[in-house]
Amino acid sequence: MNVFFTVLYKELSVFLRSYGLVFVVLFFFLFEVFAAGNGITMDARNIRVGVVDDTPGVISNRILGHLHVPQFQSPRRYASQTELMRAIRNKEVIAGLLFDHGFERDYLAGRPVQLNLLLDATAATQTYMAQSYLQNIVLQFENVDIPLQIATHRLYNPNSEYTWFMSVTVMLAVATMLSIILTAVIFVREKERGTWDIMLLMPVDPRTMIFAKTVSQVIVVTSGIMLSTAFVLFATFGVPINGSFWAFFLLSSLYAFTNAGIGLFIAAVSKNTVEIAQKAVVIVLPMIFLSGSWTPIFAMHPFFQYLSIVSPLRYYIEGTINLFFRGTPALELWPQFLGLALLAVVLYSFGIRKIGKLF
Amino acid sequence: MKLGVIRAYLKKEFLDIVRSRIILLVFIMPSLITLLFGYGIRLEVTHARTVIIDHDGGKLSQTLESSFSHSKYFTLQPTPGSEREALDLMQRGKIDIVLIFPEGMERHLLKGRPVTLGLYVDGAFPSRGSAMQSYVQGVLLQSASEIGAAAPQISLDARYLFNRAMRDPETIVPGVIALAMLIAPAILAALLIAKEKELGTIFNFYASPLHKSEFIVAKLTPVFLLHSLNVVVLFLWAVYLFDVPFRGSFTLYLLTGMLYVFISVSIGLLVSIVASTQIVAIVATMVVTIIPGFLYSGMLMPVSSMTGMSYGEAHVYPIMYYTHLLYDFFLVGDGLADAKNRLYLLILAGYAAALFTAGALLLKKRLA
Repeated sequence: MNVFFTVLYKELSVFLRSYGLVFVVLFFFLFEVFAAGNGITMDARNIRVGVVDDTPGVISNRILGHLHVPQFQSPRRYASQTELMRAIRNKEVIAGLLFDHGFERDYLAGRPVQLNLLLDATAATQTYMAQSYLQNIVLQFENVDIPLQIATHRLYNPNSEYTWFMSVTVMLAVATMLSIILTAVIFVREKERGTWDIMLLMPVDPRTMIFAKTVSQVIVVTSGIMLSTAFVLFATFGVPINGSFWAFFLLSSLYAFTNAGIGLFIAAVSKNTVEIAQKAVVIVLPMIFLSGSWTPIFAMHPFFQYLSIVSPLRYYIEGTINLFFRGTPALELWPQFLGLALLAVVLYSFGIRKIGKLF
Repeated sequence: MKLGVIRAYLKKEFLDIVRSRIILLVFIMPSLITLLFGYGIRLEVTHARTVIIDHDGGKLSQTLESSFSHSKYFTLQPTPGSEREALDLMQRGKIDIVLIFPEGMERHLLKGRPVTLGLYVDGAFPSRGSAMQSYVQGVLLQSASEIGAAAPQISLDARYLFNRAMRDPETIVPGVIALAMLIAPAILAALLIAKEKELGTIFNFYASPLHKSEFIVAKLTPVFLLHSLNVVVLFLWAVYLFDVPFRGSFTLYLLTGMLYVFISVSIGLLVSIVASTQIVAIVATMVVTIIPGFLYSGMLMPVSSMTGMSYGEAHVYPIMYYTHLLYDFFLVGDGLADAKNRLYLLILAGYAAALFTAGALLLKKRLA
C-alpha cells in the first residue's frame, strides 16, 4: 500500500509540475467545452429557404406565412430557378420552393397541384428536417378544418437548450480523449526511456505500480470533469442536474478508470508515443462519433449497435444524460455501472498481463 | 539551404518512419476512420422506439397504429399498462416516444368535435427530439388528410440535389476525409519534432551547422508526402467502396488536398514550437483539431444555419472551406467555374502561407 501511495504521489506531482500539460488539459476542459456549448445548435433551426414564385402570390404567400422562427429564417426570393440553384450550390439556402405559374390557378380551380421542393442533400440531418417541416406545413395548410390537435410535451429539455446538450457531450468527449491519452503516455514514456524494465525488476508487485499510475491519471481526469461541470456547465450555462450529483461523480470516476484501461491496453501494444497518438485517435474518434450522442444508436447499422456494447463511452453518455436531464434515480443506472466495470476487468487483465511482465 | 544536406536528412527521416513501423499507422488511421464513419453513421433518425397507448380502441386508432408500424421511422414497442409506466420507461431511456389516443377519439372526430392527442417526446437529445416530433406530426397529418373529406390537393415533390437517393455515405464521407486529413498530419508533424525535444536529440540540430529551413523541410516533407498519398487513398475508398460519385476534376482534388495537408502540417509545426513534451503536443493538437473539426466540418450541421458567434467561429477554422470544396468536387462538380470555390481555394492558400510562415519564423534554433 505504501508503494501504491508513493507512486501515486509521484505521478500526481509530475503532472502538476509540467505546467504546459496542466495548461492544455485545463484549456481543453474549460475553454473548449465553453466554446462548443456557446456556439453550436445542431437542431434544425434557422433553416434558410429560397423561393421562386411565378404565381400572383395569394396562395403561395399564405403557405410561406407558415415558415416562421425558430425553425425557419424568413424566406429569400429568387427571380428564376437558375438563381435558386446557384444559391443552393453556394450554400446560401438549403431548401428551395418552386411555385410554377399554374400553381395558384389550378389550386383555386380545385385541381391537384404539385409544389416542387429542392433540397441540398449535403446538409446532413437538416435536409431531412427541412423536408419534414415543409411537408407538415403543406399538410397543415390544407387541413385547417380537421379538428385533430396534438398536445406535444418535450420532456427533459423542453426548450431544446442546445447549450446544455452540447456542453455536456463535448465535456464527455474531452474526458474520453484525455483519460486514454494521458494514461497511455505515462506508461510508454517509461518504455521509451527504458525505465519501465527497471521498474519491473524491482521487488514490487507490478500490479500495484500499474494501478497507482492509472489511478493518478483517473484523479487528474475526474478533477477535470468536476472543474468543467462546476465552472462551465453549472456556473456559466446553468445546466440542470435532475438526478444525483454524487452518482455522476461515481460514474465519472469509474469511466475515467475504465478508459485508463484502454490507455493501458494501447500502451501495452505500443513502443513509442507517436504510435500511441495514432492508435488513440483510431480508437477515440469512433468512440465519440458512434457513442450515440450525435446519431442515435437505435438507428445505426446492427453491426455498430453490437460494437457500441464494448465502448465505455456508450454507458457513460447514457448514464450522464439520464442523470442530468432525465433525472433517473441513481439505482436504476446499474446496467451502466455494470457495463463499465466489466469492460474495466477485461481491459486491465489484458493490460497487466501484457505490460506487467519483463519477458 | 543545401540540397545535399536536405537529401541526407530526408533519407534519415523516411528510414525512421519506415523502420519504426509508424508508416503503417500513417496509412491505417485515416482509412480506418473513413471506413468506420462511412458505415457507422446514419444521419436520419429511424426506428424511434415508440409506445402507443390506445384509450379509444376503435377502427381509426388501429389505422393510425398501423401507419406508425409501417413507417421506418418508428419501431412500436409493447404497450405498458399505464401512462405512468410508459413515462417511467422514458425516464430510464428505454423508449423515445409515447403517443396517447384519448377515449372517444373516433366518435368525437366523426361529429367534428376537436380532439387532442397526447404526445411525449424525449428531448434529452434536442435534435433527435425535434426530428421525432416532426415525424409523428407528419404521420398524423397524413392520416388525418386521408380521413378528411377531400383528398389532399397539393403534393410536395421533393428532389434531393447532388445526392438523389439521399445515401448517407455521400453526405458523410467527404466530411470524414476533411476531418481525418486535418487531424492525422498535424499530430504526426507535431510529434516528430516534440519527440526530439523530449528525448533531447534536438540538441543535435541546435549544435549542428544545419540551417533552420533545412530542418523544417527535412522534418515535414515526409509527413506531407505520405499524407498527400493518403488523400488519394481516401479518394479511392470514397469512390470505389462507398460509391460516392465524383463530379469534379481529380487534379484539382489532389492539389487542394495537398494544400490542406500542408495547412495541417503547419498546424503541427506551430504546436511543436510551444510544446516541450510529446504529451503536450498530442493534447494541444487534439484541442485545435478534433472538436473544432467535428463541429465545423458541416457533417453535423450546415454552416448556413449557424448564428452569431458560431457562424463566425466556423469561418476561422480551415476545415469549413475545405469541406465546402470537397462537397463540390464529389457531389456538385462546379470546380473553378464557381466564384465561391475560387475564393475558398484562395483562403486555404492564405491559411497555408500564414500558418507556415508563422511556424517557420517562430521556430528557434536554440534553447528556449
